Amino acid sequence: MRVELRGITKRFGSFTANDAIDLIVEPGQIHCLLGENGAGKSTLMNIVFGLMRADEGEILLDNQPVRFSNSGDAVRRGIGMVHQHFMLVPVFSVAENVVLGFEPTKSLGRLDRRRAHSEIRALSEKFGLEVDPEALVENLPVGLQQRVEILKALSHDAELLILDEPTAVLTPQEIDSLMDIMRSLADDGKSILFITHKLKEVRAVGDVITVIRQGKIIDSVPPTRSEGELASLMVGRDVNLKVTKEAVHAGDPVLELRDVVVRDDRGITVVKGVSLDVRSGEILAIAGVQGNGQTELVEAIAGLRRVESGTITLGGRDVTNRTPRQILDAGLGHVPEDRQRDGLVLSMSVEDNLVLNTSRRAPFARRGTRNLAAVTANAEELAQRFDVRTTSVKSPTGSLSGGNQQKVIVARELSRPLTCFIAAQPTRGLDVGSIEYVHRQIVEQRNGGLGVLIVSSELDEVLALGDRIAVLFDGGVMGVVEPTMSREEIGMLMAGVGPS
Amino acid sequence: MTDVAITSTSTRSDVVPHGRTRAIGVLMIIVGVFSAWAFGLGSVADAHSAFTFTPVNVSSAVPWSLGQLTVLTRPTNLVLALLMIGLGVEVYVRRPSAPLVRFSIVAALFLIALLFWACRTPGPAQVPFVNLTSVLIGSSAIAMVLIYGSLSGVMCERAGVVNIAIEGQFIAGAFFGSMIDSTTHSFLLAALVGALSGAALGWILAFLAIRYLSDQIIVGVVIVTMMSGLSSYLNLQILTPYPNLNVGNIASNIGVPLLDKIPIIGPTLFNESGFFYLMAVLVAAVSFALFKTRWGLRVRAVGEHPQAAESVGINVARTRYRNVVLGGTIAGVGGVAFMATQGQFQVGYTSGLGYVALAALIFGRWKPSGAVVASIIFGLSAYLVNALQSYNVPLSSEIIGMFPYIITIAVVAGLIGRVRPPAADGVPYRRD
Repeated sequence: MRVELRGITKRFGSFTANDAIDLIVEPGQIHCLLGENGAGKSTLMNIVFGLMRADEGEILLDNQPVRFSNSGDAVRRGIGMVHQHFMLVPVFSVAENVVLGFEPTKSLGRLDRRRAHSEIRALSEKFGLEVDPEALVENLPVGLQQRVEILKALSHDAELLILDEPTAVLTPQEIDSLMDIMRSLADDGKSILFITHKLKEVRAVGDVITVIRQGKIIDSVPPTRSEGELASLMVGRDVNLKVTKEAVHAGDPVLELRDVVVRDDRGITVVKGVSLDVRSGEILAIAGVQGNGQTELVEAIAGLRRVESGTITLGGRDVTNRTPRQILDAGLGHVPEDRQRDGLVLSMSVEDNLVLNTSRRAPFARRGTRNLAAVTANAEELAQRFDVRTTSVKSPTGSLSGGNQQKVIVARELSRPLTCFIAAQPTRGLDVGSIEYVHRQIVEQRNGGLGVLIVSSELDEVLALGDRIAVLFDGGVMGVVEPTMSREEIGMLMAGVGPS
Repeated sequence: MTDVAITSTSTRSDVVPHGRTRAIGVLMIIVGVFSAWAFGLGSVADAHSAFTFTPVNVSSAVPWSLGQLTVLTRPTNLVLALLMIGLGVEVYVRRPSAPLVRFSIVAALFLIALLFWACRTPGPAQVPFVNLTSVLIGSSAIAMVLIYGSLSGVMCERAGVVNIAIEGQFIAGAFFGSMIDSTTHSFLLAALVGALSGAALGWILAFLAIRYLSDQIIVGVVIVTMMSGLSSYLNLQILTPYPNLNVGNIASNIGVPLLDKIPIIGPTLFNESGFFYLMAVLVAAVSFALFKTRWGLRVRAVGEHPQAAESVGINVARTRYRNVVLGGTIAGVGGVAFMATQGQFQVGYTSGLGYVALAALIFGRWKPSGAVVASIIFGLSAYLVNALQSYNVPLSSEIIGMFPYIITIAVVAGLIGRVRPPAADGVPYRRD
């Protein structure tokens, strides 16, 4: 199917999310839409998929103008979308999810489950996407859930497949297999719109790369362009993609984990005896696909989750199962994985968030009374030093962009005397400019002699920052390796395949 | 941008840690030990409990007659207590993933032991003390109303709207039901008007919850408060001055041929009012519709993941409106059914049954069949509260009245296996 967008414009109040966008996707083409978070990619795709209506412009499918009042219309016209956050009902079976909205029925409106199952088996076979139609979605690994999303789109005879940031949750191997699936679908004549901010992926799989920035199309380029060129187009200025680091001067261990065992909310043991050392002056990066115990491990170190057995030593002191406050006071800086839930109080001002864990101490409080002038002065100084862009330090933190919210947390944590600094997914959802900034801060702290622990599901980030890399799989350390190890080898460790 | 703060709700999975299953095992053992001590050893050695089975008021219609059953209270209750302890030990040791059935059995055994103990007489019993068939008939009347209420809850909550206004819909149904039946002498018309009043209240809830994204709990409580105030005012202004508007007929029973002749079960299940049979039909219909049909799949998708439903072209708002109004209709009929068993409307006489129905819904895990089981247990204990007052029991009836709420707390606290409401239950859906 040939898809053409003409002059698509979408405004939210005074903010223009999409500004006169023109885009053509040819049949059998993998068209990459590259842009930073907040560039307007998702808005544009929601318009194409009928979830939002454009203020101006039109959509043409095979040169016929179309108008969608909801996504059901878009699906009927052959558009399928694989959402970044899967549109799957976890408690439903694969089959129920795939047929939802287009269910085969018998008399009395009864679901024809048998027909649904056989349709899905046929579809699986046709596209080589194997999955058990009777399995419950919540019991499937993320990679398979995504496959269900793709099957769902294909089951409605999609001719245009939109993939919104599909690789964020996958292992390198799963990403390779997704790329193969995309290739074979394109060879079948399907058009594919691939949305991402990852430069490596667009160059690997794209036929055409269209770069979008601040709601406008900047350029369409062939995939032969270098990563540096693409990044400059995306950000609008030259970007330094390589993190420059001096040679490591590691000292004594500041954070020691010994046989740490932690359970998750369901009571299942998800960290199964992890032993690691973080030494001063080095960055230890933990790599691994999400859900292999990283989240719980970091929470245990920060005192947010009980350690079932094992010990955690911070700067020579045993802090196992101490309260978060005791641990923070012992010199731990913590940037949590979910900054909006665990790192900030979004409805509170920037200045208050900057003293969340020091507000009870001088100079911010005296005899139980807050010293608001000191809080404001502190905030203004930190905003300056850490480049937090906000109209006022008294604005609610929720009104800041994701990158600036992250800077608030980093500023708060680094403005205290620390022995060890932990950052979980420090650049998740940030634009390239902010990523560069946060990375530089982390390296500076390490150069200044702090021990740094990074947890990231982005392999590129792990490779760029880590002085040593610990790969976590199924709650255990698969190995601690040098960053010179190849992506493929680390990918194998992430998938639980040990070195032979 | 100020609403950013509100949108970041956490989505933690609510699965019960293993320790809680053990806790419920311990609780069951404690209940068993208590029964052994209070109801077993608490009876003198030669105390007897006697039961009769022939229903009192319809005895002429039944072609059967069962003799009186007399048992020694102490050994009987000790056996029952041992059963409870055994089930508790089994749950503690084996930690089954869904101990709900075992817990229900223990709850029922506890009530039976209580009954044996309450009607005991020292020495060989002469006077038959408890008429078991009457107990079952009385309990089934309450259970019926609870089932209407929890079916209403199932309809609403499966689509993602919490209907805490069931109590208010009961009041409306009972009030208008009494007025219409008194004037027209037709329970059919009364049921229709009661259904309409419940539907109207459901629509108010849906409108505020869906259009204005209001907190559904608050709207529900407001509706109940409004209805109890309004019914009290209208009672004073209309029903008191015109007593012939509130005559309080009780719906007559219709026997199912042959089936109503079965001992015990016949009078309990097959000689009931039309409301009872309608309830049975509704349970089957709602179960079938929710779990076997396309309609039900879509409703459940809306209650679990409205964004996913919307993305395949399902109209979330329309689905929710329809279900909440349907749920209100069912609760409205439930109010009429209550009135048809209790007689003339009085202020406050639903006495929180709507909330107990909500508890039954949770106990029954948002399934019609589960809600039926829960309603039966709750109905039995609610009936016993009243019945025990007539026995010479040195136990305050209010204590037994707490029973449904205590088991509900145990259930809601997640003691009994996984309690998982529809994921989007009570969460306003904002289409963006």
